[in-house]
Amino acid sequence: MSVPFVRVRDVTKRYGTHTALMALSLDVGLAESVVVLGPSGCGKTTLLRLLAGLEVPHQGEIWLAGRQVAEPGRNLVPPHERRIGFVFQDLALWPHLTVREHLTFVMGSVRVPKSQRPQQTRETLGLVRIERLAHRYPHELSGGEQQRVALARALVGRPRLLLLDEPFSSLDPDLRATLRSELSRLRRALELTMIYVTHDREDAAVLADRIVMMREGQIQSIAQDSRPR
Amino acid sequence: MTMRGLQATQAAVLALAGTAFAVCCVLPLAYMVWRSLASAPQGGAPVVAALLLDARQRELLANSTLLGAGTALGATLIGAPLGVALARVALPFKGVLRVALIAPLLLPPYVMGLAWLYLGGSAGLVARMVGRDVLSPWTYSLAGATFVLALVFFPLSMLATEVALRRVDGRSEEAALMVARPGRVLWRITLPLAAPAITAAALLIFVLAISEFGVPGLLRVRVFTTEVFTAFAALYDFNRATILALPLLVVSVLVTAVAAVLVGERLIVTRRGTRAGRPVSFDAWRRFAIVASMCVLLLALVVPLAVLAYEASGVRSFAAIVRGSREAITNSLMLATIGASLVVTIAVWLGYTRARVSRGLGRIADVLWVVLFATPSTVIGVGLIGLWNQPGMVGAVYGTDAMLVLAYLARFVPVAALVLGASVRHVPASHEEAAAVGGAGWLRAMTFIVLPQIRLGILTAWTIAFILAFGELGASILVAPPGATTLPIRIYTIIANTPPAQVAALALLQSAVVFVPLAALGLGVAVREVR
Repeated sequence: MSVPFVRVRDVTKRYGTHTALMALSLDVGLAESVVVLGPSGCGKTTLLRLLAGLEVPHQGEIWLAGRQVAEPGRNLVPPHERRIGFVFQDLALWPHLTVREHLTFVMGSVRVPKSQRPQQTRETLGLVRIERLAHRYPHELSGGEQQRVALARALVGRPRLLLLDEPFSSLDPDLRATLRSELSRLRRALELTMIYVTHDREDAAVLADRIVMMREGQIQSIAQDSRPR
Repeated sequence: MTMRGLQATQAAVLALAGTAFAVCCVLPLAYMVWRSLASAPQGGAPVVAALLLDARQRELLANSTLLGAGTALGATLIGAPLGVALARVALPFKGVLRVALIAPLLLPPYVMGLAWLYLGGSAGLVARMVGRDVLSPWTYSLAGATFVLALVFFPLSMLATEVALRRVDGRSEEAALMVARPGRVLWRITLPLAAPAITAAALLIFVLAISEFGVPGLLRVRVFTTEVFTAFAALYDFNRATILALPLLVVSVLVTAVAAVLVGERLIVTRRGTRAGRPVSFDAWRRFAIVASMCVLLLALVVPLAVLAYEASGVRSFAAIVRGSREAITNSLMLATIGASLVVTIAVWLGYTRARVSRGLGRIADVLWVVLFATPSTVIGVGLIGLWNQPGMVGAVYGTDAMLVLAYLARFVPVAALVLGASVRHVPASHEEAAAVGGAGWLRAMTFIVLPQIRLGILTAWTIAFILAFGELGASILVAPPGATTLPIRIYTIIANTPPAQVAALALLQSAVVFVPLAALGLGVAVREVR
């Protein structure tokens, strides 16, 4: 790997007396897809939240695209300036906004020129195949549709890095398989750098270039995916 | 006890509480509505038409509506930002600050009105200092009354906003933080999610403002509540009083019902919901929030109390003032204690029932209680007089101090039931079931399992009822028997013909009764924060 796009160096994160991450180091290359596997409570979500800037590390450094974004006790770059798309486990859709308004809010925040917004909205909705749902509110959508909206919201700001925290954990196996393969297609089409957290090995098998196994706040092993490309 | 016996005890206790609620809270209002409709010679509909066509009525309606809307707007503009600050800014001694900011709500509004009157009235402090009357046109005006009431009621908006913000799902905000600055997240995500609660608080403030009697009465603003009082107390026209009360009641019921539906179960249940994610903090605004809080505290609490203290400093002997009003003070303390105790005795069973019935019935009970609590005090006073001023056995109560206690019950059982209903909902029904399986009867399970778990709720409900009863004016002044008086009635009736120093001293005394327990609470919070 040349210069890594994501660099996590000796990061430790504690919650009270509990150590969620212990001197963890991980590099992720540009356009690489890393799936982090591990049991509940092993620190997978904490790793994503640190990368997103939603938590501050106690020790260690975090670098994104060659720029240091966090140092011990301090985030150097706030979340909204890191250009990260995040799909939360519970999706965290905004109940008072329609699908289109979700995307408009993001584009307004990252200052996409107004003239480009309709086009970008259409493209993103098309990417995740929910063009017909643009005027619906989250409560009017099925579970799978909500997942697609969360993904569209994460993608519409053209992020450099996509973080996904067990996004399909609440779906039935068929829908999960469908969305998993669509995410794989999207990732390749957009050449996104992606870190995907799960405890499902099938997710890892389909989506990963590398599989990182975590346990008790530390990386246990890293496996290169050997599937034919 | 057999299952049959258990049900019988439970049914008897709850039926008794239900009957007491119906007689004390619902009947006076129902009687008032019936009288106002029946008092028209041609039936109900023409009365309403006459009310709407009469120019004087239209002026009253306009004044009441403007007072309500202005107060709601002003209180929200002050309270909502403070609520945001309390929820999301790391303020020093936040607990103490919250208690201090709630204080203006706990003072009787007429005490605040009196303070501003002594500051900006025609013979007020400002007029005496500058040598001419510059402020009184503003003080004796709709704008003046709106200003005072906004400073009284802003804590409601503040608390509603704080609670609503604490209930916003932290993940929603985190998702927005990934792309937007905290200020934009607050404006576009957090506040819209909290909007129903903030709007409901504004509607409730609207109703409380148009129901207020003391402040518009003092500041000579003609609104429905003052006209109801005048019609009954000055003109002895019971029919006119009941007819005047009707539009006020209709507006109150409609607006309160909308507010209760808007906010649903969030009105009272203040426990944090289960939520993930970390809420956005606005610590960059810390300095501004501290300055703004201090300014509001200054206007809403320090200035009024300082003005009263300055005026009261003119009395020769504070002890003589207390001696002169000893009966009113003793009466107030005694009646408020009896009233608050009876209020809680009835409300605890209503609250229990509300917590254990279905969700739909519970919502209906909440709406009914909020509507009853927001019913204007003078309307309740007129209803109570109509109901109890009867020949025979019923009339035996009328003309005694019991009427004042009945007024407290009519006004404050609903709010205590809301508080206690929320408390009982935190006690799982399985706790009672476990006691029943263990052989305990219903009363025993209530006494040893449920009531001990809601003792804080009971204490809170009693304190709220006591404070409200101690400052009650609008209903008391109508139903008090000849010769009997309470501190609020005495203060209100001696304003016109007694030196301001004496009135201010009594108003301070009234405030002290509220502030002593409040200061103790603030001290307790401060000690906990320091630790």
